[in-house]
Amino acid sequence: MSDVKTHSIDISAMQRSQQALRIEDETVCLSVNDLHLYYGEKEALKGVNMIIPEKKVTAFIGPSGCGKSTLLRCFNRMNDLVDGCRITGELNLRDENIYAKGTDVAELRRRVGMVFQKPNPFPKSIYENVAYGLRIQGINKKRLLDETVEWALRSAALWDEVKDRLHESALGMSGGQQQRLVIARTVAVKPEVLLLDEPASALDPISTLKIEELIHELKNEFTIAIVTHNMQQAARVSDYTAFMYMGDLIEFGDTNTLFTNPSKQQTEDYITGRYG
Amino acid sequence: MKELTTDHISQQFNNELELLRQHFLTMGGVVENQVQDAVQALLDANGSLAEDVKNQDSTVNQLDGLIDEECRRILAKRQPAASDLRMVLSISKAVSELERIGDEAKKIANLTLNLINEGESPRGYVEINRIGQMVSRMIHDSLDAYARLDIEAAIKVAKQDRTVDQEYNTAMRSLVTYMMEDPRSISRVINVIWVLRSLERIGDHARHTCQHLIFMVKGVDVRHVNVNDLSAEMKK
Repeated sequence: MSDVKTHSIDISAMQRSQQALRIEDETVCLSVNDLHLYYGEKEALKGVNMIIPEKKVTAFIGPSGCGKSTLLRCFNRMNDLVDGCRITGELNLRDENIYAKGTDVAELRRRVGMVFQKPNPFPKSIYENVAYGLRIQGINKKRLLDETVEWALRSAALWDEVKDRLHESALGMSGGQQQRLVIARTVAVKPEVLLLDEPASALDPISTLKIEELIHELKNEFTIAIVTHNMQQAARVSDYTAFMYMGDLIEFGDTNTLFTNPSKQQTEDYITGRYG
Repeated sequence: MKELTTDHISQQFNNELELLRQHFLTMGGVVENQVQDAVQALLDANGSLAEDVKNQDSTVNQLDGLIDEECRRILAKRQPAASDLRMVLSISKAVSELERIGDEAKKIANLTLNLINEGESPRGYVEINRIGQMVSRMIHDSLDAYARLDIEAAIKVAKQDRTVDQEYNTAMRSLVTYMMEDPRSISRVINVIWVLRSLERIGDHARHTCQHLIFMVKGVDVRHVNVNDLSAEMKK
């Protein structure tokens, strides 16, 4: 009997890990159909069509004023609060049009949570910050609150740093910790989608990396959409990238492809630093 | 495709890319000369020219190190994307091809010195001359293609390599026959065979250089694509 040891290497498995993601293979979480948004006379979004895939990270890049934050804010109707803002088109969370009449906006914002550029913890204890959303929902059982607060803080990679000072003020934390606290507060109410608007731009490089690492962890449980000015950050954290310019969605696709071989010249010019 | 090394907001970055490109083309020029000189030294039994070719190798090695360092710096400092990224990667790879062409030229120079010592080979110089000119042309055209980002020219060079391979095989057969007829010539003819082998490898390296160029301009990896399918691959 031959005793030759064959080294079988599964190259196809290695290749699969490098393969470009295909949007057609994804489950749709949010879908945007011909979305126009006007601030008074000014058209800020000019007919955007795209989907946000389930449990993936979708990054929005583009120069200031291109409409990326505006689009992100549409996903949980934050633009409702802006005077003179008018929207046409459709925006569906799973199969419900979130701009349909009778949508419970508070409930929508629970399902689609948002984190902003500057950490905005409430002037309360760390524990109460995270428990806040739960209390609003009428959950007051201590055991359930404890469990959820711990789970949320662990999800936000903050638990080990704060477990001994849960009842101290959140305002005593560092900026990076505050931002993770805000993320913990957002995930505590178990949303389906997390919207991150420049979540790391006010943080130092190490805190930034922690947030990026956190985003990578969080996508196992949540669908994430992130707006960032930092292109390398978009390249690092996202699965899909959307490039927007002057209210148009120019290119949307697999992040690896978009950053190595984009199909549109405008995208190419922007990501290589030639724009303008 | 736009000019590769212009139009960045950062003028510094433009300069760095332009310098990289210039250094690469300079190195290509050195290597091209080296190959021509190596073949000429052999044909003319010119020992001092062969020594020259050997000495040029250190220049090529230094340029190889320099360009590699430039690529590393650009990657670390600029985090290039898209076409910039592909340019840095493909130059970093093409530089290795040039460096190996330099090594082959040096081998030819060494073999030339052997032949001068042992007495010239009675056969094979016609083939060396022909194949030598073909591969020098290939190097020249591939550098030209790099300078003009000319995909069509790159495909042409890649196809040319097949002719070189055919010529090489034909020459090999006739030299083997010759050695069988006249065993006393074997040690000298073997030197000629090594030279032909080096020239054939130079042709391969020139083809690889062009494949790196195609990747740089088009973003498709054609290293393992049949040359006949290259044009079709480009249109995908």
